[in-house]
Amino acid sequence: MYSTYLVARRDYLGYVSAWGFWLGLLFTPLILGIFMFAPMLAQNSQPTRYFTVIESGTEFTEALRAEIDKSLASEARTRLDPIAVQQDKDSEALTTFDDAREQGNTALEAFLTAGGEPGTFPKADFVEIPPPASSSSELAPFLTGEAQVETPEGPQALFAAFVVNADTNEIEYWSENLQAQTLIRYANSAEGSLKLDKALAEANVDRALLQEAADERREVKQQRVRAVPEQTNSEVTTADRAPFIVSIMMAFSLWFLIFSVINYLLMGTIEERSNKIFDSLLTSVKLPHLLAGKLIAVLLLALTLMSFWGLFSTVATFFASDRIPPDMAADIGTVFAAAANPALFIPAIISFVLGYLMFGSLFLALGSLCDTIQEAQTLMTPLFVMLMAPLAMLAFAVQDADSALIQIMAWVPVFTPFLLILRIPTEPPIWEVFAQLGLMAVTTVVILYFATRVYRAGAVHGAGVNDVWAFFGKLVPGKKASES
Amino acid sequence: MNVAIPLKMTQATKWFGNFKAVDKLDFDVPQGSIVGFLGPNGAGKSTSLRMALGVLSPDSGQTELFGEAPNLEMLKRVGFLPEERGLYKKMSPRQIITYFARLKGMSARDAKARADELLESMGLGGFAKSRVTKLSKGMAQKVQILSALAHRPDFLILDEPFSGLDPVNQQALEDLIVEEHKRGATIVFSTHVMEHAERLCEKIVMMARGRKVFDGTLDDAFAALGNSVLIGVSEGYDLGEPMYNAGFVTKRDDTAGDNWRITLSPTQDPQQALRVAIDAGAPITSFQPQESRLRDVFVSLVSAAEAQDLTDTLAADTAKPKEAA
Repeated sequence: MYSTYLVARRDYLGYVSAWGFWLGLLFTPLILGIFMFAPMLAQNSQPTRYFTVIESGTEFTEALRAEIDKSLASEARTRLDPIAVQQDKDSEALTTFDDAREQGNTALEAFLTAGGEPGTFPKADFVEIPPPASSSSELAPFLTGEAQVETPEGPQALFAAFVVNADTNEIEYWSENLQAQTLIRYANSAEGSLKLDKALAEANVDRALLQEAADERREVKQQRVRAVPEQTNSEVTTADRAPFIVSIMMAFSLWFLIFSVINYLLMGTIEERSNKIFDSLLTSVKLPHLLAGKLIAVLLLALTLMSFWGLFSTVATFFASDRIPPDMAADIGTVFAAAANPALFIPAIISFVLGYLMFGSLFLALGSLCDTIQEAQTLMTPLFVMLMAPLAMLAFAVQDADSALIQIMAWVPVFTPFLLILRIPTEPPIWEVFAQLGLMAVTTVVILYFATRVYRAGAVHGAGVNDVWAFFGKLVPGKKASES
Repeated sequence: MNVAIPLKMTQATKWFGNFKAVDKLDFDVPQGSIVGFLGPNGAGKSTSLRMALGVLSPDSGQTELFGEAPNLEMLKRVGFLPEERGLYKKMSPRQIITYFARLKGMSARDAKARADELLESMGLGGFAKSRVTKLSKGMAQKVQILSALAHRPDFLILDEPFSGLDPVNQQALEDLIVEEHKRGATIVFSTHVMEHAERLCEKIVMMARGRKVFDGTLDDAFAALGNSVLIGVSEGYDLGEPMYNAGFVTKRDDTAGDNWRITLSPTQDPQQALRVAIDAGAPITSFQPQESRLRDVFVSLVSAAEAQDLTDTLAADTAKPKEAA
C-alpha cells in the first residue's frame, strides 16, 4: 500500500501545483457569487424605458400607473428591511410604510415616510410620458427610433405605446421589442383590476370588503405525526424541513464535486499515456495500487476544494453574523444539526465514495485509451450525459423526493449516489436503503473491474479509442470483426 | 539474497491477435553477466522483455525473475528502461528519480541523496530542479536511465538504451553500464547496433521474426559464421568461378568492385583461398584476412531466418490449395 501512497502523493502534488487548480479553487466562489448576483446587477443596470398611453380618458392610464407603483412599493419594502420581508414579519419601518400606502401615498412617498433614503429608492423600469402623437400610425417613427421623445434623461426612442381603442374595445400594445413582456403583464393586471373595480362598483360592493375577506383567510398549517406521542406540537418546523434542505445540499455538493474533479483523472491519465510512462510505472507498482493511488489523489483534491470552500463560507458567515437576525441564525443552526444526523451523513458518505469510484474509474479507463483530449472527447459525451442525468433528477427530487419516478430511478446504480441521499429524509424502508447501497457497491466493484481491464488494455497494449468502437462493433449481431 | 538466475524464459510465446510476436522463446540470463538482446526492428525484443517483467503475460510458456514468476517483490530488484520513453513533464529530474527510487523501496532521504549523486555524476546537477520540459532529448533520456538504476538494482533491463543518444552520450552510457556491472548488477540490453554488443556483452541472444536465432557467447557467434578473406584483383577479373569451383562462398564486395570477399568455413584456411586465386591466374592486388564482425553474424542469421520464414510461408501457401481441394 506504500506504493499507493506514493502514487497518490505524486498525483495530488502535481494537481495542486497546477495553476488551473488555483483558478478553480479561488474563482469558483467568485463565479457562483456572480451567478447569484448577476440577475440583481442586470436588473439594476437596466435602463429606464419610456412608454405612453393614448386613450380618450385616463382610467386605464391611472390603473397602469397604480400597477407600476405597486411593483415599486414591493421592491421599496424589501429595500427598507430585507430580513423582515424575507421572514414575512413586520418591523417598525414596514408598518409605517404599509400605513402610508393605505393612506393613498405612492411608493416613493411611503418609502420616505418610513425613513428610507431617497437615493436607495428602487429605480422604475418603466416610466409613462405624455403621448407625442394622437394615433398609432403617427407614433410609428417614435417607436422605430426615427423620431425621439423628450424624457427626463433627454431625447430618446419611445419603448412602447398603449392605444386604448374605444370603438373596438381593445387595448393595443405597440413596441419594436417583441421579447419584453413585463409591461404587458402590468397592463393586463391593471385592466383586470380596473374591470374588477367597475364590477364591484356596479354591485355596490366596497373593495375594502375583499381585503377584509382576504385578511380573514384561515392559514393552512402543515402538520406531521410525531413518533413520540408526548410531543403534542405537530406543526411542521424548520427542524422538520432541515433534513430535506441538507439532503438537497449534500446531493448537489456530491454532484458538483464529482463533476468538478473528475476531469483531473482523465487529464492525468492522458498525460501519462502520451508521456509513455506506463511501463516504468507498471514495473514499480501493481496496477490496482496504481489506480487506487490515482483515485485517492483526486479524492483528496475534492476534499481540499470542499474544505477550502467550506472554510470560506464559514468565514464569510462569521463576518456577516452581526447582520443575521437571531431567528435566521437559529434556523441555520438547525440545518447544520440535521447534517450531523448519522442516518443522513453515513449513507451520504457511502454514496459519495461509491459514486466517486464509479465515475472516477470510468474516466480513468477512458483516459488510458486516449493520447489527446481531442480523442477523449469522442467518448466523453456519453459519460457526461450519464453525469448530467442525475442533475435533472435532482430537480424532480427537490419537488417530491418520494415520487414514483425518483423511487424507481434511485435503483439505477449510477443515479443512486445522488437520489438515495435525497430520499433518506422521506424515511424509506431500511431494507430499501441497504439494498440500494448494496447494489451500488456491487456495481462499483463491477465497474472497477472492467475499468481496470480497459486501463490495462490502454496502458499495456496501447489500445485506443478505435479499439473501443471495434469492440462495440463486434457486439452488433451479424457484424464481422473485420468490418468494425 | 536469492541466488537464482535473474531471468529465465521457457517456451514463452505471445500472440497479438493473429500475429505471433514471440515464438517459444527459451533463454536465460546468468547472474553477473551482460547480455545483448539483438534483433532487427519488429523481431519481438521489446515484447520479450515486457514478458520478462510481467508487464505482458505470455500466452504459453513461462518467465521467471530470480526463480519466481514476475512479482512486485522481485521487480524491486530490477531496473527497467522501456523502449517507449517518457517522463512527467511538470516534474524536475530530481523529483522523478526520487519518485521511482521510492516506488522501488528506497527511503525518501536515500532516494533524494541518490538522485543528487547520479545527476551530478552525469553532468545534470545544474538541471536537477528544472522542469523536464527544459531538458534536451538526450538529457531527458539520461534522466530516465538514472531513474531505472537509482535504487541500485541487482538486474538491469534496458530496452534500446542507446537509441536517440549522440556518440558522446552513447559512450557515457556504455561507461555507466560497465560501472553498474562492476557494482555487481546483471544487465540485459536490447539493441540493433552491434558495436555496443561487441564491446559490452559476454553473451548474446539474437531474435528475428519472433524466434530466437542465436544464443551464446560472442566467440560462439563468430565461430558460427567463420572468418573471411578479402582479395583485391585488377582489370575486373572474375574471381567468383574459380573460387566456387574450389568450394568457397564468394561475393564481390559492393563497396569496392575489384575486391572479392571469400567466406571461410571453420575447415578452410585463408592461405587455401590465396592459392586458388594464384592458380587461377588472377591479377591479385591485395590480400586481407578478415575477422568476422558481429554485424556479419547478425545479418547472416537474420537473413537466414527471414529466408526460412519466407520458405515456410510459401510452403504453407502452396499447401493451402491442396488442402482446400
